[in-house]
Amino acid sequence: MTQHDADASGPALRADRLGRRYGKVWGLRDCTLEVPAGAVAALVGPNGAGKTTLLEMIIGLLEPTEGQVSVFGQTSRADTAETLARVGYVAQDHPLYRDFTVADMFHLGRAMNPGWDQELAEARVDTLGIPLKRRVKKLSGGQQAQVSLTMALAKRAPLLVLDEPVSSLDPVARLEFMRDVMASAADAALTFLISSHVVSELERFCDWLIVLSHGHVQLAGPADDLLDAHRLLTVPRATPDAELPGTAVHRTDSDRHSTVLVRADAVALAVQGHAGWQADRVSFEQLVMGYLQRPSTAATTRNPAPAAKRPGPSTKAVTR
Amino acid sequence: MIWVSWRQHRGQAIACLGLLAALAVYAVVLGTSMRTAFGDDVPAACLAHSQGLACLGGIDTFRGEFGSEVNIAFWSVTLIVPGLIGVLIGGSLIARELEYGTWRLAWSQSVPRSRWLTTKLALVTGGLIVLGAAMTALITWYRAPMDRITGHLQHNAFDYEGLVLTAYILCAFGFAVLAGLLIRRSIPAMVAAFIPWLAIRLVVEFVFRDHFMTPLTMKIPAACLKGFCGDGVGYTPQITGRVGDLIVSMNPGNLVTYQPADRFWPFQFIEAGIFVGLTAAALGATIWLLHRRATWVA
Repeated sequence: MTQHDADASGPALRADRLGRRYGKVWGLRDCTLEVPAGAVAALVGPNGAGKTTLLEMIIGLLEPTEGQVSVFGQTSRADTAETLARVGYVAQDHPLYRDFTVADMFHLGRAMNPGWDQELAEARVDTLGIPLKRRVKKLSGGQQAQVSLTMALAKRAPLLVLDEPVSSLDPVARLEFMRDVMASAADAALTFLISSHVVSELERFCDWLIVLSHGHVQLAGPADDLLDAHRLLTVPRATPDAELPGTAVHRTDSDRHSTVLVRADAVALAVQGHAGWQADRVSFEQLVMGYLQRPSTAATTRNPAPAAKRPGPSTKAVTR
Repeated sequence: MIWVSWRQHRGQAIACLGLLAALAVYAVVLGTSMRTAFGDDVPAACLAHSQGLACLGGIDTFRGEFGSEVNIAFWSVTLIVPGLIGVLIGGSLIARELEYGTWRLAWSQSVPRSRWLTTKLALVTGGLIVLGAAMTALITWYRAPMDRITGHLQHNAFDYEGLVLTAYILCAFGFAVLAGLLIRRSIPAMVAAFIPWLAIRLVVEFVFRDHFMTPLTMKIPAACLKGFCGDGVGYTPQITGRVGDLIVSMNPGNLVTYQPADRFWPFQFIEAGIFVGLTAAALGATIWLLHRRATWVA
């Protein structure tokens, strides 16, 4: 499943201090990240975190206010044919023309994309059992999402960007859609960047993780490494942060215990020396939620990075 | 892109053909009976030699039968129809993509949105020009007998012949495309475009048109001072003695100012120029704004 070791030709995606301002408000700021070729990367963050802004700059729908973003080494320039052709894109709610037939949508794809692969498109909907002559408005939500994905794949772009692709689908359609994405990634050595505000949608499918909130990247890297590097530590409530091993990302205090997400390699040793301490592996969701619940002033540009210590009544965020 | 434009606008194209077919039926039926009646009531030779003076009775009969198109209801419909066609087609061109979110699909294919827009505008504008020209041809043909009595400079004739009808449609279309980009909703964009279009259309017709060129002045002939001559457009016999001259004003001192009938084409070019210029400004602004939306750095 992990293919991001095959990136001899450089990363599929690189953003360098990327920022976009809307009037006086920054939709995204100081965003630096890389996604290796062949990865299936999850971009998670709450609504309004800047996910769509980031995606629109990657695919060439929007020009950055500062910094730049490149796809396979080529800088993205908004509204140019070269940039647009490099990335396949499935927009949020997978918009299609409702009165078009599936064949019409493919005709549009063929007319507007020089690299269009009609055979791939027709074979894919045939496999999925979607009739070419059916109108888009007669398709189910899952089928519409599949037609959108098919159009993005048939563009024959090396990078595919999917904005909240499954949030409007029922659980079964979600699973089928993500399985198809995985299969495509494996078959054609494609790189996927998939955004979502629901973390559990992407768990098990993504091997690269980017956590975005308040317009900043909070955490980015290979998903397995990040999971390995974090532990959920249960300690007596009175334990001060200073005594904890490694970096406390997020702390939740209950009546008798505190649960702390820590980033450290020496957790196991520390636990052995303390009665009543317990360290558990973290789930994808616990990891992401820990970073998302940090106060906005603790937002970091790179990970790990310094941030202000901000004690709160029941929630504390501490970094080294 | 040509296929995409056609696929997205073919419904509108079919509706326009339907409208044209209805107009053609109306024009052929009315035009044929007008031609028959004209030959009976108003011998062409009489009109040519006497400027209508020798066949006043026939002219009155003919006008009584076919003059209903000067009534207010007919005038209102024909006034707003070009504007309605323009805003209905222009209002949804961009706004529909924004309303339904399909702009993310349309503008993320390998065609930059500027080219997407210019291709669409070129094709739809071309279609509207063909529609306008066809409507003009039908109206001009069926009105021909009436125009021999009234000339082409008077309001109801001038507005639907020559170039201006097409220019009105284009102008309403251009306004609506721009409004669609700014307002992002089809129906409000149509309304927002129609109101200024109608205002400009009426102001140009009733305030500026009479003065596109300096009117000529002449003394009212002695025969007319006794009260037999028409003082406005389309009435026979004319004060000026020539069918089709447009009377601008009657001054004290027995002077009349008028626009001669042979200024029809210069006036057509001037008025069409105004509306085509407004169209170009609106569409140019749309193209620039759409490109800036993507590339503009706040």
